[in-house]
This record gives sequence, C-alpha cells and structure tokens, in this order.
Amino acid sequence: MVVLLAVFSVCALSLGTPYVPPYRLVAAVLEGDTTLAGIVVSELRVPRLLLALVAGACLGAAGLVLQEALRNPLAVPEMLGVSSGAALGVAAPLVLAFSLPAAVQPLLAIGGAALGGGLTLLVAGIGRSPSAVLLTGAAVAAALQAALLVLMVMADQLDLQLIYRYLLGSLSARTWDDVTGLWPWLLVAVPALVLCAPVLSVLRLGDEDAEALGVRAQRARLAALAVAVVLIAPVTAVCGPVAWVGFLAPHLSRWFDPAAGAVRWLPWSAAWGAVVVVVADVPARLVLAPVETPAGAWTALLGVPAGVALMRSGGRRRAAAWRTPAASAGVREQLSGPRRTASGVADEVPPAGAPHHAHRGEPGPGGPTSPPLGTIRTEDVR
Amino acid sequence: MTRRFTALAALAVICAAAEVVAGRGMSPGVVWDVLNGGGDATERHIVFQLRLPRLLVALGAGACLAVAGLVLQSALRNPLAGPEVTGVTPGAVLGAVTATALGLAGWDSPLAVVLAACAGGCAGAALLWLLAGRGRGDPAQTAVHGVLVSSVLGGLTAMVLLVEPGELGSVVQWLVGTTEGRVWEHWHLLWPWALLWGTAAWLLAGPLTLLRCGDDIALAAGLSARRARTLALICAVALTAGAVAAVGALGFIGLLVPHLAVAVFGADLRRSLPGAALTGAVVVCGADATAQLSSRLLATALDSGRLTVPVGALTACLGAALLLLVVRRTPSRTF
Repeated sequence: MVVLLAVFSVCALSLGTPYVPPYRLVAAVLEGDTTLAGIVVSELRVPRLLLALVAGACLGAAGLVLQEALRNPLAVPEMLGVSSGAALGVAAPLVLAFSLPAAVQPLLAIGGAALGGGLTLLVAGIGRSPSAVLLTGAAVAAALQAALLVLMVMADQLDLQLIYRYLLGSLSARTWDDVTGLWPWLLVAVPALVLCAPVLSVLRLGDEDAEALGVRAQRARLAALAVAVVLIAPVTAVCGPVAWVGFLAPHLSRWFDPAAGAVRWLPWSAAWGAVVVVVADVPARLVLAPVETPAGAWTALLGVPAGVALMRSGGRRRAAAWRTPAASAGVREQLSGPRRTASGVADEVPPAGAPHHAHRGEPGPGGPTSPPLGTIRTEDVR
Repeated sequence: MTRRFTALAALAVICAAAEVVAGRGMSPGVVWDVLNGGGDATERHIVFQLRLPRLLVALGAGACLAVAGLVLQSALRNPLAGPEVTGVTPGAVLGAVTATALGLAGWDSPLAVVLAACAGGCAGAALLWLLAGRGRGDPAQTAVHGVLVSSVLGGLTAMVLLVEPGELGSVVQWLVGTTEGRVWEHWHLLWPWALLWGTAAWLLAGPLTLLRCGDDIALAAGLSARRARTLALICAVALTAGAVAAVGALGFIGLLVPHLAVAVFGADLRRSLPGAALTGAVVVCGADATAQLSSRLLATALDSGRLTVPVGALTACLGAALLLLVVRRTPSRTF
C-alpha cells in the first residue's frame, strides 16, 4: 500500500503537461516560483495531491463509521442521501447566483448532508432492516438528485460544465486556498472520530448487547451519523462528492485485516480512502487529455465492482475459515451467543449466520436459494 | 371493472385537457378557440405543432413505462423491480448518450437512438443479472444491487458527457426526464414501437400471471417458466427503451404505477396490464400538466423566464415519497 501510494503520488506530481521528471521534483518545489515547472508543481500539483489525500481519508473514514454504525456493509454516503444532500447545499447558491463567502460553503454542505442523512434515517426508522434503510436512502438520494438536475436545467451553459463536473467529484483547478479551508473542519472531525471509534465496536454486537453494556444504541448511531456528516460535508464543499470511496475503502481495509475490529479498521480505512482517490485522480487527469475527467466518475466505475467483489470474497473467506473447525463449534456458538472479553468487545466468534454463508456466491442451478450476497444481513458485517 | 376503466379514461381526458391548456402564454379560452378552428397562425402552430404532440408523447411514454414496470415486477416476482432500479433505464440512457457522442445516432435520427437505448437497456439488465444472480434472493437486496448497477452506469454516462461537452446542455433535461420540445416526429416514432411491444406484453399476460404465482405453479400448469420470463424481460426492456428515447429517464413511474394498477384492477394481468398503461399515461400527463403550471407560477413569482420544472423532477420527488410508503408497508412481503 505504501508503495502504491508513493508511486502514484510521484505520478501525480510529475506527469502531465509540462512533464517534470521525478528526480527534479524536489528541486522544482524548492525553486518555487522561479521556473515554470516549479510553479506548476508547487502551486497546482502539490495542493491537488494533498487535497486528494485528505478528501480520500475523510471519505474512507466516514464510510467506515456509517457502515459500522448501521451494521450494514452497503451503508455508504451515496446510498443514504448524505452526499446528494451536501452537493445540493453547495450547488443551489451557485446556480441561483447568490454570492457567498467561501467559508459558508461547508456550512451549507453540512446542512444539506444532515438533511439528506437525517431524512433517510427518520423515514426508514433507525433500527429497521438494512435493506429498507438502503432503499429509503436511494429514494431520498434520487429525490435530491432530481432537485439537482432541476438546478442544472436552470443553469447557464457555461456554469453547467462546472456544476456537472463538481457533482461527480473532481479535483481539477484546486489550489492552496481550498486545502487551507479544510483544516479547521478536520480539527473538529478527527477528535470526534477518535471518540466514536470504540462505541462503534460495541454497536457491532447488536442493539440489545450494546444496551446491556451501557451504550445507548440509537443515540450512538445518530452521533456516528453526525460525525460522518462533518467528515463528508467539507470535502464535498471543496471537491464534490467523490463517489463510492466510502464504500470501497472500508471494504479494502476489512479484506486485508479481517480479524481486526472497528478501532483498527478506522485508520486503515482512511489510508485506503486516500490511496483510492490519489490513484483515481491520475487517470482522471491523463487518460483523455486535454479533457479532464472527474475523479468521481473513475471511482464510481472501478469502486463499485471492486467493492462488491471484496464484499463477496470476504464473505467466502470467512465462510471458508469457519468450515475448517468442526461444525459443532458453529452450533455451540449459536447456543451460547457471542462470548465477550472483559473489555466488552467481541472475541472473534462467528455470527450465528456464518455457517449458512458457506454457499454464498456460488450461483447455479440446484444451488441453495440463499442470496448470493448474504452480507447485507445485519449479523454479518465482518 | 368496466366502471373503473371508464373512470380512469375520464381522468385521462381531464389530464389531457389540463395538459393542453397548462402551458405558458395562452389562456384556456384561446386554446378552445383554436381547437374549434379559430385563432391566428401562431396560436394554431403552438397548439397543433407543440402541445398536441407533447401531450401524446407524455401519454405514450407513461403507458410504456408503467407496462414495462408491471411486466418486470411480475416476471421477477419482486415488488421493488422497476426499470429504474434494475439498471434498465440508466443503461438505456447510457446507450443513447454514447451513440450520440460517437456520432452513430443524432437527435435527428431518432430510430438509431431508440435502438441504442435498447442495447444499453439490455446491457444494464444483464449487468444486474450477473451481479444479483438469477433473480433469486430477497427482493430488497436485488433492488439494492440495482441501485449499485445504476450508479456504475451513471458514472459511465458522466464520462461520456464530459468528453463530449457539447451534448451536455441538451442531455441534462433528458437525464431527469422531460417532455419539453417534443414534436410530431417523436410521436411518430413512439406509437408504433409502443403498440408493437405493448401488444406483445398483453399477449404474455396469461403466462405472466402464472409466473406471479411462482415457478412451481407455473411449471405445474405446463408453462416453461424460463422461456416466458426471458420473453417478458425482452418486452420490458424494449418498452423502457422506447420511452427513454422519447422523454428521457422519468423516475419512479415504472416502479410505482404498477402497484397502483394492481391495487385498482386486481392481480389478473389480462386486466391490469391495460389498466397499468392507462394509469401510467394519466400519471405522466397529470405530472406534466402540474409541472407546466408550476413553471408558470414560478416564472411569475420569480419574474424569470428561465425556470422550467421538468416533469421528471416532479415524478422523482413524488415517486420517492411513495416509495418510502411502499417500503414501510411491505418490509418482507413479496406479493
């Protein structure tokens, strides 16, 4: 992962027009504004890279928080209406030609995101089945998207390009100003994130067990949503909702370390999110040069299939892991329920549903009628 | 039953009348004059060359989408299946946009657009089928997968649009679904297509009713379930593609109108398929009339001529609200 990040960072800094060879990068940054290459690297490419890292990390972490809080591997900002809400909050003043100071934009985005996410959870009922929550979220997102499209219909042709690009999530033409605008929000979000991580691992046990351990499940969920909103909204305000990073990054972190808990996954998820956005931004800049494609389109194209594949293979690996010990272990677990250590975090015991998933993902005539993707079930978030 | 059909037909006439008089710039009295053979040249042109085709296209597209949705829901035994959440509509949009961008089809050759939309719709449906397995499993899950597929296709569409920025302006309206600026040409293309596939769907009504009851019962009755399902899916994709090529991606019509139609006309598809067609036509037409009226009101309120509410925005908002109700009411029931 470190290698991947390094390679693509260097690519991001050196490729493009003008091409700056990697060995000259340091010199170019140090020379600053004396040469053309120096200006391009230090004023355009470095902030863009930083922004990609920060945005990816925020989105990845937010995705993990949402997935863990709702115990639902598909609970991502896109599916809950959070992203669409934030985008609407930013795009509306743009089109309606209200001139606003840049500092207000994140606030609007936060308002929109909270509206979208809150509406979804309110209508779906927080404790209901995951699929119902997701469908509700999809409906809310669709309604918000329709509002966005109405705005776009009203926009001028010139604005239209900008808005459309923004709505997909694009890092083009972002400078130091945009990066510096993010810091205050990160200062708020990171401590909140650290605080809510342990609660997430308790929430995974299920509402009843969490209540027994003294966590108010509903309140904890709302808090998690609030944290996710604070993470997502400022990023959205700056570079648009880069799609599906919050879906892919948590699954990557789980896939590489399936035995860890939410606390361990959180930094990994942030790191993977950063990698994903940096990696996606390189083809976004270069593939169809001189036209820049939005990074969000790439993350959507590659992220969704990759995420689904990871979700399935993760399920299969778990199932395989639980086929090796005697099946009686699974039965015993079903009888006794998850054991817990004194710290209140579950040991690595299989959820009661795990034995069923041995058949998952092998569709074919005569196969069992279990859904190929049992991961949407609540008890199966590992 | 006849009474219900009559009532619905009356509703359709009322909606059509509303649609004809709802537009900007003419009072209802003038429209009446024109229809009686009066009025000056401009007024005549507006009514006969713009409003009538628009009305007909709205009716036809609504009927197509509703029938496609009902066929999908019956064939897959999934109350949450609709062209929008099975990847058919986004696929069709992608096909049409791609064909236009590559120069294979222009907005001046609508037939090519329809064919491209068809191919795209099939591709979208196939993608979902690969992802979700053969229509088995929990209906809500299939719908969730459909949303995932739709987002992938949306990403592709976005790429195409940004590579061909010239198309963006004309396509944005079409992405949300609109009946603005539809002329006779669209109608001439839509009605034979709709009639052909609509008839095919109606001929399939019997087998589809059996499929709704489950594969075992269908097999016991001597129906080859797989063949019937394949035919039905082809029908649904073709109908959706025609509607999408005519008015764009109207949201939620194909998902929700079938529920309404089944509630009113019962589950026997020989009756509820035509019923769904009528209902869909009424809904889209009414929504379009409402959209035009609200555009008019907003224009006077905000004093700007730029604001038009596309009908798709209205149906998406309405549909989202209704979908929430459906999801709340039927958490685990299949039919």
